[in-house]
Amino acid sequence: MATDTGGYESTKQFSRVSRTTGTIFKYALLAATLFGIVALGVLLLYVANDAIQPLTADPGWYLVFFTTFVLPTVAVAWYLNRTDERSLSTGVTALGVPLVGTIFAAGISTVFIDVVYPLMWFAYFAAFAVPVVFAVGLSRSDFDIPFLGWLGIIILTFAASFALVPYGILRLLYVPTNGMSMALTFGSVAALAARSYVGKRWDGKRTGDIAAGIVLLVTMLSPFVGAIVGIGAVPAPILTTIALVPVGLYVASTMAHRPEYVIGLALPVIVVVGVLLGAFLVDVFSFAGPHSWLDWAFVTGDSSGEAANAGLYPAIVGSVLLMFVVALVSFPVGIGAAVYLEEYAPDNKLTRIITINVSNLAGVPSVVYGLLAAGVFVTYLGPGIPVLPPAIANPFGLSPIYVAGNLFGSGTIIVGGLALSLLILPIIIISSQEAVRGVPDDMRQASYGMGATKWQTVKNVVLPRAFPGILTGTILGLGRAVGETAPLIMIGAAAIAPVPRTFESVVAAMPMQIYVWAGDFATDEFFNRVVPAGVIVLLIAMLAMNSVAIALRNRFQREG
Amino acid sequence: MSGKSSNGVSRRKFIVGAGASGAIAIAGCTKNPAASGSEGSGDDDALSGSISISGSSTVFPLAQAMQEKFVEEHENVSIDIKSTGSGGGFANHFCPGTTEFNNASRPIKKEEISACKKNNVVPVELKVATDALTVVVNKNNDFVDCMTVDQLKQIWQGGNDKVTKWSDVNSEWPDEKIILYGPTEASGTLDYFHEAIVGEDNEHRMDHQASETDRNIIGGVEESKYALGYLGFAYYSEAKNKVKALGVDNGNGCVKPSLETAKSGKYKPLSRPLFTYPKQSALSEDHVAEFAKFWIENATSKEIVANSVGYVPLDEAEKKEQMNTLETAIEKANGN
Repeated sequence: MATDTGGYESTKQFSRVSRTTGTIFKYALLAATLFGIVALGVLLLYVANDAIQPLTADPGWYLVFFTTFVLPTVAVAWYLNRTDERSLSTGVTALGVPLVGTIFAAGISTVFIDVVYPLMWFAYFAAFAVPVVFAVGLSRSDFDIPFLGWLGIIILTFAASFALVPYGILRLLYVPTNGMSMALTFGSVAALAARSYVGKRWDGKRTGDIAAGIVLLVTMLSPFVGAIVGIGAVPAPILTTIALVPVGLYVASTMAHRPEYVIGLALPVIVVVGVLLGAFLVDVFSFAGPHSWLDWAFVTGDSSGEAANAGLYPAIVGSVLLMFVVALVSFPVGIGAAVYLEEYAPDNKLTRIITINVSNLAGVPSVVYGLLAAGVFVTYLGPGIPVLPPAIANPFGLSPIYVAGNLFGSGTIIVGGLALSLLILPIIIISSQEAVRGVPDDMRQASYGMGATKWQTVKNVVLPRAFPGILTGTILGLGRAVGETAPLIMIGAAAIAPVPRTFESVVAAMPMQIYVWAGDFATDEFFNRVVPAGVIVLLIAMLAMNSVAIALRNRFQREG
Repeated sequence: MSGKSSNGVSRRKFIVGAGASGAIAIAGCTKNPAASGSEGSGDDDALSGSISISGSSTVFPLAQAMQEKFVEEHENVSIDIKSTGSGGGFANHFCPGTTEFNNASRPIKKEEISACKKNNVVPVELKVATDALTVVVNKNNDFVDCMTVDQLKQIWQGGNDKVTKWSDVNSEWPDEKIILYGPTEASGTLDYFHEAIVGEDNEHRMDHQASETDRNIIGGVEESKYALGYLGFAYYSEAKNKVKALGVDNGNGCVKPSLETAKSGKYKPLSRPLFTYPKQSALSEDHVAEFAKFWIENATSKEIVANSVGYVPLDEAEKKEQMNTLETAIEKANGN
């Protein structure tokens, strides 16, 4: 029986094969692809419209920015794309690096403005740097020291340094100002990074040293510039090292090594000049912009019961601190587990059970992790870590000893961070395992063939090669953690929290704040203006993190 | 060489531009009021420390208004507030000792006092405002403006012979299912309604759409013509254009909920006192005692309590009484 719907029978009759089924299938797949994207796009437009209220701006405002910013940008981008796609990607990178860098710099700045006293930071940084410099010097010297002796010396210098250096610095007669503390610490790290980056790309130690010197000098000057311009002396070095130095190095390296794409750098120039010119013209003609709810008062204001005064600042600081705890806990534990499972663990039943369970843990709902954290950390460790628990102390007539009691109170940053760490740990383990597995076995065999030990192979071959992949996975994990609400509710996070000053403070976090605004505050202004504005900030933070992950992955793929 | 120099110019331009845009982007951080507060500590304001507050979502907006005003004056005191429901706050936060205050929209229960006692937590009862619990129906509901206490009781009482349709309560009302919205079991609002309307001997039905979020109750009632719900007056007063409040007839005619009728005592039996319970031992700390005093001191403020939150403020006599209770408790806390 002849049929025109394709399938098995029609293949018997070559002349009558129909493509209808295939076409329908193709478009069904397209619809499936678009469904989620379009739905999310519509939602985001809706939210952005509520938060920014674009219709409230003067038509003149749009006209000005259209002519100074949109039109030139699109024209240049189109031209670049036509001549060479890689010039365009050069331009986009040179634009994206400072943008994302600025967002990260702003996040880090909040910590040094509100939580960590810059001089204290400087003192502990120095306490850490001194033994590191000593250790590096020692390892390059000709002394032949057995490993255990070496370890002992390092541990001793660290202990001595942490006992003496902060104490000494905090009591010096002359102490660096806040801005200088930041410039010295961030500048020295950035200078070292620049030295190695330039040293690799320009062949020659001298260029690297010069680059390092320039970076250090610029960073040291930045607090003064920052204080005059109005950025502030503390954020200026952070902004310089995280946003300006990387883009400067990128531009320099493009000009030196890929001069054919230098034209791509016109894109960021056009964008910046366009925005500044537009802002200037709008001011001259006094065209009003949109009455955006998302403004600096919102981003830097404290929480409030009145929609007009409500700000996200405590939640932003809280989220930054949470991410710090999460990164500190989940990176070493997750990557360590992944490397062990892939490189060292024998392939037996136990290993397979562990691997399968890790995969299952990745799917456990976040509420459950919140409950776990509430149960273990708040209830059990709430009074403190039992160094001498009552069960042991009481029979001997001693009193129980607890330490660090405040850290594990109900809803503290530490408890919140630990809950989120548990949540993303399986994700980090799985993605790191994949990155480690992705290193070709030939490279390991080659390393063994040259007489390298297992440790040397892992250290010199596997980890460097897998590192970008590991980092991608972990950053995506962090992106997931920054948006989680449920675990925070379970551990007793507050609806209204002040700016957290320590890790013992009650947690404030962006998603939690948005959830509370949507629920506990009744007015329409909260639901239709404040909540969308908060959502936009949260999305920007998440996209910034994900863009770093994507950039790393692209780099990794190009090199691999 | 000429090509190089032109590149140099564009680079410089670019760096200047990027720096300027960065400056605009981050300038907000320097204006943060919290930053200046953290560094100039201890000059003219000796109060510092942190306070945690848990409890009723009904009292939450009031607590937040007080917190905002208090922190304006004492910027080194940080106050966080959880909205957990009266009962949830007592059980999970206040009695275990993790919070210094618990707000409640009903008096503390005996079981809760003894649960607190196990952890050496002594609650001090302070009345802070009066609320008018409000029964709301859909805007388009044209068949009912007022209900008697008995009718409300029929609707909300649990048991076997449950009322499910409007016509079950009054034959003149339509033959449509009543869709019920109300608070959850953790809520003091439900406890109070249970006691005042349904009666302690009977059960409050639990098959309604329950939410600790008053917004959801308003939203649910707004959606459906045959819905009925109840919630605190403050949230209703923010949504007067969305739902209709019913009058309640306690035998003396129909009385609509309002600040006036709640204050004069006419709106019965649904006008109710709101409380906050500080932990007595915490009152020995200055910042906690000062905050409690500040709250009572401002509990008569029409601007804060009535205008910005929507409850009935205390009168002078009530304030004096609460202040006495508080001061006795502070003395006891310091004496021990």
